[in-house]
Amino acid sequence: MTAKIEARGIFKVFETPSEPVQALRAVDLSAQPGEFVALVGESGCGKTTLLRILAGLVLPTQGEVWIDGTPLRGPSQHIGMVFQRPVLLPWRTAAENVLLPAQVRGLPLAEASLDARSLLESMGLGDFLDRFPRHLSGGMQQRVAIARALLLQPSILLMDEPFGALDAITREQMHLDLLNVWSARRPTLLFVTHDIAEAVFLADRVVLLSPRPGTVRQVFQVPLRRPRLPDHRFSGEFAAACRDVKHAMQGNGRGQG
Amino acid sequence: MKTGQAPELVTPLAIPRPTVAAARRIPRPGKEIVLSCLLLLLLIMGWEIIVRLRGIPPLIVPAPTVVWESLLTHTRSGFLIRHLGVTLAEILLGFAAGGLFGIGLGMGVALSPLLRGVLHPYVIASQAMPKLALAPIFVMWFGFGLLPKVIITALIAFFPLFENTVTGLNEVDRDARELFRALGASPWQTLRWLRLPNAAPYIVAGLRVAMVLSIVGAVVAEYVGANRGLGALIISSQGMLDTPLMFAVFVVLLVLGVVLYQVVVLLERACLARRYRA
Ligand SMILES: Nc1ncnc2c1ncn2[C@@H]1O[C@H](COP(=O)(O)OP(=O)(O)OP(=O)(O)O)[C@@H](O)[C@H]1O
Ligand SMILES: [Mg+2]
Repeated sequence: MTAKIEARGIFKVFETPSEPVQALRAVDLSAQPGEFVALVGESGCGKTTLLRILAGLVLPTQGEVWIDGTPLRGPSQHIGMVFQRPVLLPWRTAAENVLLPAQVRGLPLAEASLDARSLLESMGLGDFLDRFPRHLSGGMQQRVAIARALLLQPSILLMDEPFGALDAITREQMHLDLLNVWSARRPTLLFVTHDIAEAVFLADRVVLLSPRPGTVRQVFQVPLRRPRLPDHRFSGEFAAACRDVKHAMQGNGRGQG
Repeated sequence: MKTGQAPELVTPLAIPRPTVAAARRIPRPGKEIVLSCLLLLLLIMGWEIIVRLRGIPPLIVPAPTVVWESLLTHTRSGFLIRHLGVTLAEILLGFAAGGLFGIGLGMGVALSPLLRGVLHPYVIASQAMPKLALAPIFVMWFGFGLLPKVIITALIAFFPLFENTVTGLNEVDRDARELFRALGASPWQTLRWLRLPNAAPYIVAGLRVAMVLSIVGAVVAEYVGANRGLGALIISSQGMLDTPLMFAVFVVLLVLGVVLYQVVVLLERACLARRYRA
């Protein structure tokens, strides 16, 4: 089976005024269709850079990204992206924000409006279609951003610490809602976070990146059954999986010191 | 430890909130307006009393009642209205021409780095040059009519709109730009759906400034070689030693300024209604 998305031998060097910064070195990464992969690593280890390369937003210095076996040449309609901040247009209502990708692609708006509406309804925002972003809570705004990323039914969804700014209670609810839309639509999902528990709870596989330069340190298969339930967080398997990732991450820290 | 700290954390957060909300509720708009009017009345009365008690001659400072009389006389005769019409025409034409040109060139500069690089020194130089200083030469070139005043007003109204258009189109949230790139948006789509809506409040703020400057520009341009308009009237009332008339013109200018400013503010509300809608 060909991987849905595959990165081979990715190097990324940023030229800065003082000295070149090597952000990524020899990163290999792939995800199967419908797989949920979490990327974890300390701050500054190149997670965002890797995600932007996978989205076709930046070119790697070396290496290549393949989608369904064809090389990626720039932003693609098959890839949806969710950023750490919701990045909603303040002059548009929730529904109009979700509609943006269809407008950009020049798709029939009547049809897309229906999709936008049902997406927002499925995310529990049915009563907030015509609200402006500043009247929505942070969690609601991020739901709108997720709905926008899903509008064109991308086969790949990239998320960069999407829940990092949310409080713990909202975040746990978002986890369940995200797992619901993911299992309903089954995009290949790459999810960046620095929260190990979040990665383990959500993903099929956890990819640990180590910093300076960013490279894949270890890959963990998560042993939890699906559907994931809140109680899984209190299971021994869950704790063990988190501990394994944590130890691998710290081992790296000591090695550096 | 933790349970002991929790109440301390909760209490100071909970107290200030209602106070802030209450403080916001206190000044009722109706009350403010009444107080403002009272203050105005008080100031005018004080002016009248001081002028009368001190016996200040009307040539130096006319009393409010004298100014009012002059205002009534010259309004009834249609004299003030005629001059007001001339100045208003200069203001509106100059404001429109300078504004359109400022927005247009601002868009060009914001969209084309080449144009920006080429024009930037000229725009700065034209801004450093006091445009009113050009009034005498414009009179020599274009005569005593409307045109030289309209040109000066346009030159003055140009800059705030140019500047704000460039700023508004360029100061776009980086993440929003990245979003548009990820969606595969063309430069034109990014302009239409991101940069222009982002620039709207900047441009409207520029309109406000440009309107105020346009009034100054038109009136002061009339000081130099004009026989019609409120500025010309100020100069000729100086020549005729008719200080009450001069003050009457000041009152007309004051009202004109407030009205034009309010028109722009209403325009702003209409333009940005979507953002301000609750
Ligand atoms: N545009 C850029 N120019 C120069 N250096 C950059 C640029 N973008 C990222 N870097 C550098 O590359 C490294 C990786 O950055 P990146 O943002 O990918 O990290 P991250 O893992 O996403 O961190 P965080 O968890 O804090 O978001 C950092 O050292 C950063 O300073
Ligand atoms: Mg990051």
